[in-house]
Amino acid sequence: MISLHNVSKNFAGFQAVRSVNLTIPQSEIHGIIGASGAGKSTLLRLMNLLELPDTGEVVVNGQPLTSLKERKLRQARMSIGMIFQQFHLVLNKTVYENVDVSLKLGGMPKAQRQKRVMECLQFVGLENLKDKYPAQLSGGQKQRVAIARALANKPQVLLCDEPTSSLDPDTTIGILGILEDINKNFGVTIVLVSHEMDVIQSICHRVTVMADGGIYDTVSIKPKGISKVSSDPRNFFEQLKKGGEADDA
Amino acid sequence: MPEILLQYQDEIWRSIGETMVMVGVSIAAAILVGLPVGTLLYLCRKGQIYENPVVFSTLNLVVNIIRSFPFLLLVVFLIPFTRLVIGTAIGTAAATVPLSIIAIAHYSRLVEQSLLDVPRGVVEAAISMGASGKDIIFKFLYVEARSGLVLGLTTSIISFISYSTIMGVVGGGGIGDFAIRYGYQQFKTDLMMYMILVMIILVQLIQFTGTTIARKIDKR
Ligand SMILES: Nc1ncnc2c1ncn2[C@@H]1O[C@H](COP(=O)(O)OP(=O)(O)OP(=O)(O)O)[C@@H](O)[C@H]1O
Ligand SMILES: [Mg+2]
Repeated sequence: MISLHNVSKNFAGFQAVRSVNLTIPQSEIHGIIGASGAGKSTLLRLMNLLELPDTGEVVVNGQPLTSLKERKLRQARMSIGMIFQQFHLVLNKTVYENVDVSLKLGGMPKAQRQKRVMECLQFVGLENLKDKYPAQLSGGQKQRVAIARALANKPQVLLCDEPTSSLDPDTTIGILGILEDINKNFGVTIVLVSHEMDVIQSICHRVTVMADGGIYDTVSIKPKGISKVSSDPRNFFEQLKKGGEADDA
Repeated sequence: MPEILLQYQDEIWRSIGETMVMVGVSIAAAILVGLPVGTLLYLCRKGQIYENPVVFSTLNLVVNIIRSFPFLLLVVFLIPFTRLVIGTAIGTAAATVPLSIIAIAHYSRLVEQSLLDVPRGVVEAAISMGASGKDIIFKFLYVEARSGLVLGLTTSIISFISYSTIMGVVGGGGIGDFAIRYGYQQFKTDLMMYMILVMIILVQLIQFTGTTIARKIDKR
């Protein structure tokens, strides 16, 4: 569960997020959509205090992050996974090591870590690539490593900042499928930031629309299913043809 | 073996030994002090995890001042300090003091540069995983910057060799001093040439080793 009370953030006078109130219940997949610069990423980064709010309170998994001391905050962050558009893997670590490091931070003994790393890699279907380096992987595979890394500490919340925005449609479907599985199998609350309506509509239970740093509205939707994200080449063709006709007219 | 080398072999070996001591101590200072100072420069910068304008500007200024001295003047300027630390300002041990100071200033700057090359996102990912400052440095920054750190150290070591050649002014000895005193000042041009050759081989060897290691450990 995540609640934001009256949360604001400004960057050198620019109000990126303005007094937002938002509650996301446990096990919900919550979409955040809006134009570029609307404040989606900033709002997401406020949820694990990657950005410190100027005002307001951030409560995640029952803990008021905004009033925690540094050590407690770090512990709380271990229960909040995060993945990014650009993956942000450690390129000098193997796939295995990238997942392992997040467990090392929590001080887990080696034997247990080994077991957990392999579990996570199996979950995202990468156990065979465990000794590869990120530079040897495709974008979709890199995002899977990032997901495995975020899952390693069994988080209750997973924050996703445009996780599919640099991937092609087929790969996007794969990643969305994994996110949906994480939600269904482990009850993880997922916050999914995207500017692609297709992506948001496919798996989200509720969607917040942002504009100018504020919440325009939050609506419940019925997830359309992942197959509705267009990967069929005929869809591209149809869209191109439509564009062409518009030009002709 | 040319006769002149045999004739001077004791002095040559001693001067090589002196160079090794001076450069060795410089390397130790660079790693033990320069690496932490460079890391602190990076961490205290604006927007970094331990952002601290006072610490940053102070360190930055000191490093710049040390590096802007013509090295010979730095050696002279430091004589009182050297005397305080070593007990004398003359000899190989005394020479290691100014060398260590320039080594720290030199390498810390290169460390800072290598760390700045690590993508911001990697640090953010580390923070989001709950990493402490120490974890971020050792488990993320140094891992991702390691080939830059090695290449920087290689460049630094080659500079240290060059700096060490003028330590003759305070009786530090070394290959460079030998080449000047015996080769240049006593008009034994062939001896001077041999010593230059030794330096060239040394530098080539270090550069080759550094580049090879850096390439091997770079998986990016
Ligand atoms: N660290 C920062 N310093 C200064 N301005 C920032 C910073 N981070 C974000 N901003 C500004 O805040 C506003 C909101 O940024 P944010 O990244 O949250 O938008 P977004 O909705 O995620 O956009 P996009 O779809 O382009 O990712 C933008 O105008 C951006 O320029
Ligand atoms: Mg964004």
